[in-house]
Amino acid sequence: MTSTAPYRTPQPARRGSATAERATAIKRGYKARLRRGDLLETIVYFSVAIVLALFLADGGATYFINIKDVATGVGIVTGLVGSDLLLIMLILAARIPAIDRTFGHDKALALHRKLGKPVLYLILAHMLLLMIGYGIAQGLNPVAEALDMIFNQQDMSIAFIAMGLLILVVVTSLVIVRRKLSYEFWYIVHLLSYGAILLALPHQFTQGMMFAEGTWARWYWMALYVGALASITICRVIIPIASSLRHDLRVSEVVIEAPGVVSVTMRGRELDALRAKGGQFFQWRFWAPGFFWQAHPYSLSAHPDGRSLRITVRDLGKGSARLLKIKPGTRVSFEGPYGLFTDDARTTNKAVFVGAGIGITPIRALLEASDLAPNEATVILRGSDAEDVYLWQETYDLCVEKSASLRVLVGHRPRGVNTWLSAEAYGKGESLLTLAPKIKESDLYICGPTPWTELVIRDAQRLGLKDHQIHAERFDF
Amino acid sequence: MAGLGSAAIIAIGWQAGVGTLTAALPQSGASASGTTTTAGTTSGTSSSSSSSATTDTSSQAATTAPVASGPADGTYDGSVVNTRFGTVQVQAVISGGKITDVIAKKLTDADRKSVAISQQVAPMVRSEVLTAQSAKVANISGGTYTTQAYLQSLQSALDAAGFTG
Repeated sequence: MTSTAPYRTPQPARRGSATAERATAIKRGYKARLRRGDLLETIVYFSVAIVLALFLADGGATYFINIKDVATGVGIVTGLVGSDLLLIMLILAARIPAIDRTFGHDKALALHRKLGKPVLYLILAHMLLLMIGYGIAQGLNPVAEALDMIFNQQDMSIAFIAMGLLILVVVTSLVIVRRKLSYEFWYIVHLLSYGAILLALPHQFTQGMMFAEGTWARWYWMALYVGALASITICRVIIPIASSLRHDLRVSEVVIEAPGVVSVTMRGRELDALRAKGGQFFQWRFWAPGFFWQAHPYSLSAHPDGRSLRITVRDLGKGSARLLKIKPGTRVSFEGPYGLFTDDARTTNKAVFVGAGIGITPIRALLEASDLAPNEATVILRGSDAEDVYLWQETYDLCVEKSASLRVLVGHRPRGVNTWLSAEAYGKGESLLTLAPKIKESDLYICGPTPWTELVIRDAQRLGLKDHQIHAERFDF
Repeated sequence: MAGLGSAAIIAIGWQAGVGTLTAALPQSGASASGTTTTAGTTSGTSSSSSSSATTDTSSQAATTAPVASGPADGTYDGSVVNTRFGTVQVQAVISGGKITDVIAKKLTDADRKSVAISQQVAPMVRSEVLTAQSAKVANISGGTYTTQAYLQSLQSALDAAGFTG
């Protein structure tokens, strides 16, 4: 297989003299990342503690003296904590560089997803408890109280609409994850969450006792909202537009790697300034008819050389198939680079890379970008048939350059066995440990289909690898 | 570390809110009087300007009945007390040395919720005051702001009347 894709001229591999020094540098980088992570987690805990403190400072404990006020008290607390966590969800999805470099985009989004249901429950509880609590205070049943709120109280009708939107967003997200509805549908539904947040905002200031005019809690709460919405606007709208205009990226070459697999090379200005690394991905938008209205996440398939960026895409969805028809010169806008599936995530000086199918793309780019001494890395490639081996030649060349061992496993999985190995390798009794004997003291990078990835992680954990050693990139949104 | 810090933050909030808590405790006669005393002193300046006896007999009554420390009959306006849910002002009706009625001229009305709370709380405070013959009555929980402002305004009216209970 030949490729005209850009890639570095082979350099002499580093000799082991600096190995110890490098190992400490990697450790130091890892420790610094852990500290940043602790700091960010602490901020999350503190934000929840602060709203509770504001509630108590406002005399919130008085709700718990009398049994008939308890529903109101708990209702206010659930609303406060729920809103606070909702803003944290927003910040997690904002792709703030500091968060991406510390946790990685996928972990931030995993936490975002994990918070979705609890936040919905907290805010639902807030609504129901206050319908009950204020109902008791006014001598109304909860439904009558809700109607009274909607029709008579300032800003409450839009707050109820916001509640409806929030339910819609969380429920469709859960359904989409299970049923795999289209990315576009998911995206549009998610835009509604901004509507929910904005519609729910007025009642927090006009109905609440805590954030009334003249209180400094009001300023704190406003600052929280402004901060969260500003970070989303800056990181997801302003920076991507500015960056796309500055780098003026255009398609320079489209190469067919295998049936249904194409590599797209793009050239632009000052690409060094992006500081993109092999293993990262971008959201790409091709300004061609039928393309410009959707952005797709694709990983780089080569470490950027400062002049061009390359992606390799398999015919997964409608969008990818048409990539074949993209003409050189097509303008490309992008968001990114994103992801911590990079050399920065390393915790030790040894590394094992495992890739399957199209998951080879970030693995290949990452291998190219990784700082590896000879004989410190093992690469395991997995394909189901002879057509499933695109970019393998390039990967082989990189392994030679870096004196890394390369193991290839071709063929389908054995029937009736839950394994990530090929039938042949499984039959021979191969495992992660036989394929990569130093795996226990290595960082493990995995990229492939999600169920397959889970099986590799399972085997790694059985070998005793710690979570911080395992880096997996999942190709889902 | 995060847990400890969070606990500290919540503790600070608790400490800051503890004043409202003790004021709201039903049996807290002492602390309730504490709050009303401060209320009295803060309203002292405003009551001199805004509290005025509507009855023109009040000054005469004061001179004609020097022996009685009791107040003259009449209707006395309390000071205007601002809360974040609106202003509160009450009138005290004194007759025969007793508080015979308290009329709310203005109650918290910043929004519907405040109006609802006012309508519920004001009659309760009024009956407490008429029973106790004093502005030093317990807080009505759920209507802390209304109650406190109501009692503060009432106290200034009673002060203007020279009512000592």
